[in-house]
Amino acid sequence: MRTRRLHTGAALLITAAYIMPIYLAFVNTFKSQDQILANPAAPPVPFTFDNIINAFNRPDQLVQGGLANSVVVTVATVAILIPLSSALSLYISRRTPKVKAALLAFFALGLMVPPQVVLLPIVTLLQQIGLDHTYPGLILSNVGGGYLSFAVFVYVGFLRTVPEEIIEAARVDGASDLRIWWQIVLPVVRPATATVAIFLGLWVWNDFLNPLFILGPLQGQTITTGVYLSVGQYSTDYGQLFGIMFLAAVIPVVGYLAAQREFIHGLMSGASK
Amino acid sequence: MTRRVSGLASLAWVAIGLYAAFLIYPVLKSLFMSFTDRNPLRAESKFVGLENYHELFADDRLRATLLFTITVVVVVTVVANAFGLGFALLLNRQTLGFRVMRTLIFIPQVLSGVIVAFLWRSILTEGGLLNSVLRQLGLVSEPVSWLGSTEMATISLCVVVSWVTIAFATVVYSASLRSVDASLYEAAKIDGAGPLRRFWHVTWPMIAPGTTINVVLCLITTFKLYDVIAVLTGGGPANTTQSTAYYLVQVAFTNNLFGYSSAIAMLLLVLTGGAAYVLTHFLRKREVPA
Repeated sequence: MRTRRLHTGAALLITAAYIMPIYLAFVNTFKSQDQILANPAAPPVPFTFDNIINAFNRPDQLVQGGLANSVVVTVATVAILIPLSSALSLYISRRTPKVKAALLAFFALGLMVPPQVVLLPIVTLLQQIGLDHTYPGLILSNVGGGYLSFAVFVYVGFLRTVPEEIIEAARVDGASDLRIWWQIVLPVVRPATATVAIFLGLWVWNDFLNPLFILGPLQGQTITTGVYLSVGQYSTDYGQLFGIMFLAAVIPVVGYLAAQREFIHGLMSGASK
Repeated sequence: MTRRVSGLASLAWVAIGLYAAFLIYPVLKSLFMSFTDRNPLRAESKFVGLENYHELFADDRLRATLLFTITVVVVVTVVANAFGLGFALLLNRQTLGFRVMRTLIFIPQVLSGVIVAFLWRSILTEGGLLNSVLRQLGLVSEPVSWLGSTEMATISLCVVVSWVTIAFATVVYSASLRSVDASLYEAAKIDGAGPLRRFWHVTWPMIAPGTTINVVLCLITTFKLYDVIAVLTGGGPANTTQSTAYYLVQVAFTNNLFGYSSAIAMLLLVLTGGAAYVLTHFLRKREVPA
């Protein structure tokens, strides 16, 4: 009993120490600059929404604009990648073992190429086709890049567990490839789709390098690059900083808390590929 | 019977085409450019053979970034795995309270590197939250410059990156621990094995797949680290906290040396790929065959 209580105490203490920075960001969002500097760790008493209101009232519309742009880029990327990657994965799964292995090796490359390695050629390619500094350009390079590899490995892994009979039965009934994919396979692989949507959504939302260099500073920003470019390197206006950070982080964090079972499950199935 | 191209195949080939255009082609283009003196400020570029690769050896700044990158990669991989496993062992209970703690611990992974770095910078700068607490407690009289010197900035950066990576490692190790068959522990107990021996002879070999995942992914993500460095230190002081990936972007987009930056890109690619391949190969060997 004693060791059990000791264990619980240690777990609480260590978890609290570990998430201390998150706690600081959270409480200081609701404190004035003076309160923050007087005692950063104190709870927000008295409580203020000023930091959040000020973040929304910035003349450059950093938060609203950034959030809207991030939603567009993230939703479009994921909405294009899910049908493309699931169809591609079904196609790969139904090749002969040799072709399948070759295609998977081809897509494995995308999992380990650091984005910096391909950044410059992507930017020049987008210039050549007239899509540099545009959202379609950013979305297109998201769709064709390493995210596709991740999605393929999740889907192909999941498709191994789908019994061949389901597809064969439909084929015998005369269903086309496209119908089999849309009406039979997609509903069955829904857990894989959840994994792909959650992780790609998170990664695209949090991406920094690609939006920074593909969109460039003049063409509006995603929330991540917006925070970087507007808050400035040496800002000490902590009230404003925490207000903006809170608004930038709240969507992924709430999303994670709401879907954490799928998150953890997906992490394990995605990571073990 | 005529064989029509199926709709599925055309979708698949659209995906393959996009991947070829936005991943394979850029890798090959980088390789090609690394043999030229391409510079966007000049119309013409010419083939220079291995000159850029010779330059790699003579570039002191590149050498410094490599040393820095490898230091951070090694420190973060070791620290994140040690703490991740420690946290997972400590939190390995299925009651509600422990589940909540495990949920909270993953949050750093959900935040973008930019947010993480801004948060830590507000803690670590001279007039930041940590110094203000330390001074109030009377532990220091002068503010400590956590990001001001090369050594301190490197340590701070390792702390921040480890902080993020520990979250990932903890979740992977937690899942690995749950997958260990409880009867193995019973058997070891009956054989008279104490907690340490049970860990060493049962837990450690059984969670080997989790170790493989954590080590390899930690390595890949730290090699390509960019946003945390950009915000936390900006590569400073005096360029001493620049990773190779960060330096590569600077050489390409600030110095406009496309040819030379492509040679650095090839080096980074070989380094990341080689390390990931060797480690996966090595770590897979110690996994118990399923």
